[in-house]
Amino acid sequence: MLDKRLIEKVIDKALSNGADFAEVFAENSYISRISFNDSKTKQSIAGKDFGAGVRVFYGTTAIYAYTNDLSEISLLAAADAVSKAANGNSNKKIIDLTKKTFEDIHPILIPNNTISKEEKIDFIRKINKASRDFNDQITQVDINMLEKMQHIMIANSEGLWAEDDRNYTRIYVTSIASKGSEKQTGSEGPGAFKGYEFIQKIDPEELGRKTARMAVTMLNAEYAPSGNFPVVIDNGFGGVIFHEACGHALETTSVAKGASVFTGKIGKQIANPVVTAIDDGTIANEWGSENIDDEGLPTKKTVLIEKGILKSYMVDKMGGIKTGYEPTGSGRRQSYKFAPASRMRNTYIAAGKNKLEELITSVDNGIYAKKMGGGSVMPGTGNFNFSVAEGYLIKHGKITTPIRGATLIGNGADVLHKISMVADNLDMAQGMCGSVSGSIPTNVGQPAIKVDEILVGGRK
Amino acid sequence: MYKKEFEIIFGYAKNKVDDIEILFSANKSFSTKINEQLIEAFNYADSKGIGVRVIKDGKVGYAYTEKFDEETFGMIVDEAVANAKCSEDDEIEVMENYPSVDKKLNIYSEELDKVDVKEKIQFAKDMEKFAKATDNRVFNVPFAQFGNGTTYSRIENSKGLCKEEKQNFAYAYVGALSQENDDKRVGVEFIIGRDFSKFKAKELAEKSVKKSTALLGGESIKSGSFPVIFNNEMMATMLSTFSGIFSAKSVQEGRSLLKGKLGQFIANEKVTIKDDGLYPEGFSTSAFDSEGYPSQTTILILNGRLRSYLHSTITARKDGVNSTGNGSRNYKNTLGISHTNFYLEKGQHKETDLYNKYDRVIEIVAMQGMHSGANVISGDFSLSAEGFLYENGKRKYSLKPFTISGNILQLFKDVDMIADNFIFDMSSMGSASVLVKQLAISG
Repeated sequence: MLDKRLIEKVIDKALSNGADFAEVFAENSYISRISFNDSKTKQSIAGKDFGAGVRVFYGTTAIYAYTNDLSEISLLAAADAVSKAANGNSNKKIIDLTKKTFEDIHPILIPNNTISKEEKIDFIRKINKASRDFNDQITQVDINMLEKMQHIMIANSEGLWAEDDRNYTRIYVTSIASKGSEKQTGSEGPGAFKGYEFIQKIDPEELGRKTARMAVTMLNAEYAPSGNFPVVIDNGFGGVIFHEACGHALETTSVAKGASVFTGKIGKQIANPVVTAIDDGTIANEWGSENIDDEGLPTKKTVLIEKGILKSYMVDKMGGIKTGYEPTGSGRRQSYKFAPASRMRNTYIAAGKNKLEELITSVDNGIYAKKMGGGSVMPGTGNFNFSVAEGYLIKHGKITTPIRGATLIGNGADVLHKISMVADNLDMAQGMCGSVSGSIPTNVGQPAIKVDEILVGGRK
Repeated sequence: MYKKEFEIIFGYAKNKVDDIEILFSANKSFSTKINEQLIEAFNYADSKGIGVRVIKDGKVGYAYTEKFDEETFGMIVDEAVANAKCSEDDEIEVMENYPSVDKKLNIYSEELDKVDVKEKIQFAKDMEKFAKATDNRVFNVPFAQFGNGTTYSRIENSKGLCKEEKQNFAYAYVGALSQENDDKRVGVEFIIGRDFSKFKAKELAEKSVKKSTALLGGESIKSGSFPVIFNNEMMATMLSTFSGIFSAKSVQEGRSLLKGKLGQFIANEKVTIKDDGLYPEGFSTSAFDSEGYPSQTTILILNGRLRSYLHSTITARKDGVNSTGNGSRNYKNTLGISHTNFYLEKGQHKETDLYNKYDRVIEIVAMQGMHSGANVISGDFSLSAEGFLYENGKRKYSLKPFTISGNILQLFKDVDMIADNFIFDMSSMGSASVLVKQLAISG
């Protein structure tokens, strides 16, 4: 993307005031989005994200500047700005850049730009029709198809120089069911680090019916009860709780600050022994996968928790400096507009031995969260709050009435000990994770798990 | 600024489109975060982008670029035309040369852009230092951040519209984490403004600490229905979460609770809600919206009765009304609708009157889970909250985190008293403290 001589000049300039480390990240991305609702293709947009960021470290301070003018003058100005913020006493010079090659473990079969917009819209129409045909109560279906082709270049003062291409495809469907002025939604958003072959593998009718069924079920559901209950959280998007309430606290950004409850807990029992949790960027073509991270390191499979014992954090370069742990290829960012930070990739609780049915039958009076919604966690304390997008009561070991408006409230570190059973039905679901370095694609995942007791916020 | 770019795009688009609108924005910003008196992050941004919206055979298409060269400018026009060809939207979009607002808005301060970076860093350091020094129960200051930004935007269309604007602002926030026994609580305080001399690090730090320590050592509350006070910040947060229901686009697409409710009482008669794009010195104040349409003050709810939705010219044409100047997009997005300075008008009551009205009342001072526990489409919410129990007007004790649940329209109907302690939050949502007759609480 940029020629070697220019990169070297920029890095040297960035180092010139005593920085310990300097890095250039450049990006040229093509993004396309088709929005469909009211049974019509509405707003379509395509565009180019383009720019570069220069980062320097001195000590534990990170300085970042970005621009979308990639001329020599502008890049040197950005390098000059970051160098002036440094006042270290290092006198490093850039090490010779050598282009790094690595294996492409996520091959793209059908580039998205080789498929016509008409074919894409046809696919969307099939989802819409199936969803509306499912039930009269479906009054609206929103469908968005998102495609992103990102070309990145990273070079740093340690001689690293790498380029890579990433290709993301996602379809996001929300069905709305209405009865009087009441409305409920059902959503699915499958995505992958793939080209259009990903869409071709999806059954559009099944996808449309799935979101419709969920919306209609919730429309006709009763309000959830309040109080402490055992909860069975099913696979796939259920992993969002681990992601939000534990995953973020295992990123060095939070560990290094002492803001994490898991600071200093490596080697300690932090979860029930049935819990093993992994963050893996190497799974072929998964939504949160990549070849190299946004600092140019090869991605890895990182075991976070093994049989309840904390094994590793997710470490980026600055996190490594602050904590002393080796980087785990976890430095990620949304775009050139963000300095990278330690982030999750495909994060999941590993499969256990039980069957989902065994988890359900073990509950006398509790909640079955078939699909989780979004949530948030209070930094520092790990207290979380998640909505149950599709939930049911469990009575005497059987799934009974659908319930709506339930939220699960608890504490990340605490819940890990209360996971008493883990099923064998591991699945993953796609999400966009927002944090310090922007919004990035990540997978959450888990098999069905049973949490012995959790506070359910409802309206009854 | 950037006249040449506009000329190239207009030139290329000529004969290829029926109409074209070009939206340009350039942003320069700075932010820094402090941790343990060291600079944890220090960011400069200098970015710009151009977005085009074209009308071709009555259909609309969009494209944008952050790469500025002639070839890419041509590409975005072609992409936008291709997108227009796929559109099945039968809504009529028209571009016009809209009039201008004749009012001084004071949304740019030259002085602010001159504040030395060293002062900004020192300010963030001071917030952290003072927060730690205020109370020995403070064990961490997870946020001490300062930032400022200046945006220049320009919009032109093929009907001769040409408007430009420059605005800036600075913000700072500090979060203190305090602990007593096993209980940990966060308190966050912020300021947003254009006059740096009004930024007081010590005051912000002390307030954030007070917010966090006041909550320590809470008691549990038994589940039930209680009168509840949302303090001004939390009421603003509720408004922010549900402001989307006022969008005419949401209404027309059947995803708003307010569909078919124009002219009806949807709230207690004490409730008046406005959106004001011309609010003096506001942080969402602008002379024109993303279509170049002049901004205005719009009454949405007047004494409990729904008066208007928020419109762009597109939704307005469909409803047979005028745009309210709420057409919104950045160069990377398609045209939608968003609020500007959006607020619940303050009442006459002193804050203390709200606490005295009932024997027992719960005050809410913090909420989590706005993204998960609030459903904008159904209006239902179930949120984790923190606050205090008051008895006979006196603060009795803080509460362990509890859940509040209900529906936003019911909450509007249950508004009992509105105080006079009006504030705007960082997202230009304004409110005073509000007493609500009853709300479901589970502890």
